[in-house]
Amino acid sequence: MNREGAETFLRLLAEAEMRKQLAPDPPPWAGGPGSGRVKVYVVGQALIAVNALDHEIVGDVLADFDVAVSVRRLHGATPARTVRAASAARLAAQLQPGRPRPPLQPGAPGPPPAVLGLWARFARVRPTGSTGSPGPAAPPPDHDPGEGTADRFVPIGLTVPFHQGNLSGELYLMSFAHTGSDARLIVLWGKPTLSREHELGLQRAERFPVSLFTVTDDRGSVYELDSTYNDGSEWISQINLRPAPPDGIRWIEVAAPPGRAVRVNLNPASGPPRGGDEASAATLSAGEQLLIKLAEELLVAAQFPLAMRPELPAAAPSVVQSMGTGLGGIIAGLEAVDVLPPLSPIPARLAALCESLRIDGHEIAAAPADDLPEPWLSLLTYYQRRKPDIARVRDGFAALTAALPVLDGIRLALVGLHNTQGTTVLHVLARGVRREERLGPHGINLDFPLSFWLRDDGGRWHVAHPAGWHPADHEHSIGLLLVPPLPRSTEWVEVLAAGRSGEVRVRLPLRWGSPP
Amino acid sequence: MTDGQNRAWFGCLPGCEAHLPCGQGQHVIRWEAGELRLLNHPDAEAELVLAALGGEKVRCVEVAQAWGQHAGDLSVLAIGPRGPADKIAVSWNDLDTAERAAQRVGQLGYRPPSVTSRPPPALAAASARQQQAMHDRERAMRRRNDMLSLLALGYGFQVRLLGQVAEAHADQPEEAMRKIRPALVAAITARLAPVAEEWLGIDPDQVVVTPHRGPGWGSTELTGRAEQRRLRVSLPVGWLARVWAAGLALTGRHLVVAVAQAGWPDARVLALRAPGTEPVPLDVHATAPGLADGVLDVRPDAADAPHWEV
Repeated sequence: MNREGAETFLRLLAEAEMRKQLAPDPPPWAGGPGSGRVKVYVVGQALIAVNALDHEIVGDVLADFDVAVSVRRLHGATPARTVRAASAARLAAQLQPGRPRPPLQPGAPGPPPAVLGLWARFARVRPTGSTGSPGPAAPPPDHDPGEGTADRFVPIGLTVPFHQGNLSGELYLMSFAHTGSDARLIVLWGKPTLSREHELGLQRAERFPVSLFTVTDDRGSVYELDSTYNDGSEWISQINLRPAPPDGIRWIEVAAPPGRAVRVNLNPASGPPRGGDEASAATLSAGEQLLIKLAEELLVAAQFPLAMRPELPAAAPSVVQSMGTGLGGIIAGLEAVDVLPPLSPIPARLAALCESLRIDGHEIAAAPADDLPEPWLSLLTYYQRRKPDIARVRDGFAALTAALPVLDGIRLALVGLHNTQGTTVLHVLARGVRREERLGPHGINLDFPLSFWLRDDGGRWHVAHPAGWHPADHEHSIGLLLVPPLPRSTEWVEVLAAGRSGEVRVRLPLRWGSPP
Repeated sequence: MTDGQNRAWFGCLPGCEAHLPCGQGQHVIRWEAGELRLLNHPDAEAELVLAALGGEKVRCVEVAQAWGQHAGDLSVLAIGPRGPADKIAVSWNDLDTAERAAQRVGQLGYRPPSVTSRPPPALAAASARQQQAMHDRERAMRRRNDMLSLLALGYGFQVRLLGQVAEAHADQPEEAMRKIRPALVAAITARLAPVAEEWLGIDPDQVVVTPHRGPGWGSTELTGRAEQRRLRVSLPVGWLARVWAAGLALTGRHLVVAVAQAGWPDARVLALRAPGTEPVPLDVHATAPGLADGVLDVRPDAADAPHWEV
């Protein structure tokens, strides 16, 4: 890795941006006061993402840039701010830690947690103590206690009603997952019905009463239960079984008062048939992978207002417009440090995507490509219609399970999917990843480096975006927000997961359960 | 043969002075032959001790301290002027404003809660993070204010400090150079590019610099056409100190690449009439920086730069 070249590139970029911004008659592409800094910032983040630079150097370059620009503006005229520059300045402001999400309309139902999580990512909300930008990727854990053990994933799709005292509700069983030494039910809680006393707060209620439930197996063993939640939502959770059921168990029964136990057949063959996996090798460079993630982030950002508020007729373009800033610099920087081949087709595709989304000022040198990947085109079509589905997708959950082949050292298992408040979240268990809150340029999630798409039975593609994440030592539970959401009429999906070393496609039937 | 290795880097730089508010009056700081002198503070060290013990702060002494602390700071190269036309007009009022702002931040800063029992680990960790963030912020503000005070001395002092920093890093061994080369490349590019624009009419973005090491003055080459046009220049890091800081970079329509015989106001330099040619010796003569009201007054504008002619 040419680290010296990376730092030289960033410092020269900062110099060129300062020269442009301070010119007596700045060229129109200079973009105003904020955009120069944003360019240096995002290019620095890109170089960090491919391990060409570390945070400290990027921080030093930015600090010097800030002082250099500010001392020259103390008593001088400021170049006129263009609309685009204002957007960039807003974006720069968003780069500050702790920036809150936009206020919601009073009385309006709040967006689902998965969408709030996504907004937080666009707004660059970082955890305390985090630098908010990516660092060199940490290696996955040295030792995985589950390694070598046969995993078992079983789709369920059953509902367990419960009622005790003043509390009633339903628990939806999406799947059973047994990996390594851990076994759990992936569940979705229906909205509980509380008595009047509970509603008035006179009596403390356990909204998700795991303690009401019992799980027994075909050998009469009773399991201790506890639950863990994704950080994006507590409606979806895992009910962990302790100890894990031994091999050879044919079924378990899940019971809650006052109803009958619901039997779950743990024979994977009992589930619906699944299409064969198609795997193919690839040799993507680190730079190409980063650009693909950037393209997907652009596509998600373009859909985002639609995903959050389907009733809105058009997407607000300002965030997407701002995301064009620095793309040309990122590409040049990646080429300069030899992590992007000069003949790579990705820059031209990214240029075409920017053109399609009417993002100007991206400064990508490559001419826009004529051919775009089919999933990108599908989302572009959805975006350009600017007319979301007439009705918000209906709530519900779908039982599906699939263990995907390892991609770039990451093993993903799909364990369920649900629609809530107009959004779709796909639940996966992931091994070989680390939760470090590493954000790349324009907020791309570096902790989840894979490209992940679903194609529905109508041929429309949905991009998956990490929204909820429950970290663990070896296996993480991740909620992937699907954009656009998946209609409940979907009978099957094709999953496309891609990394640097290859891609895999799996066709899966969906077994939709009762609406929560 | 240049005298670069034999003579001090500031051989072509005359002394300069700045007036600054200090205590109840206006004091004078003078730069002479690479040294900073506080004309109104004959015993600066004693005053420093008194200030540390709670005595009145002495701005002249603080500025001299900042000068010493940043004499090897590569940030000076990133922030300092790119040429006489690059106006960095920091006033002492600006510095006062910045210092007051820093004090307010300090007063509003984090104070640990007064608890009698030990806080929970998570709270303690959060508190430690907050304190660290506050210290980082205060350090950054101090550094920024130091930089403002040095810039407030005016253009003449700015280029002399820049020359001192460049010279401090000019002859580092290769291992050390690997770490600082990116900053040095950017620093030379930043100052050579506007000179090249004036010399050849080339777009500053088309100037490509590599630091020259070893014997000789370096090289220049003009390649390509239109958007592919590039001026490739290899110059030693010391060029910044010996040539650029002295205001010699473009003299008599020549790009000066080295000083053959340093001196003020007369010197002999090696200069290029065009890229790709060999340098020729030129005898040059300087006129003093601008006078204001008959007094040498260092101000942050082009008038502070000496003017050299063949």
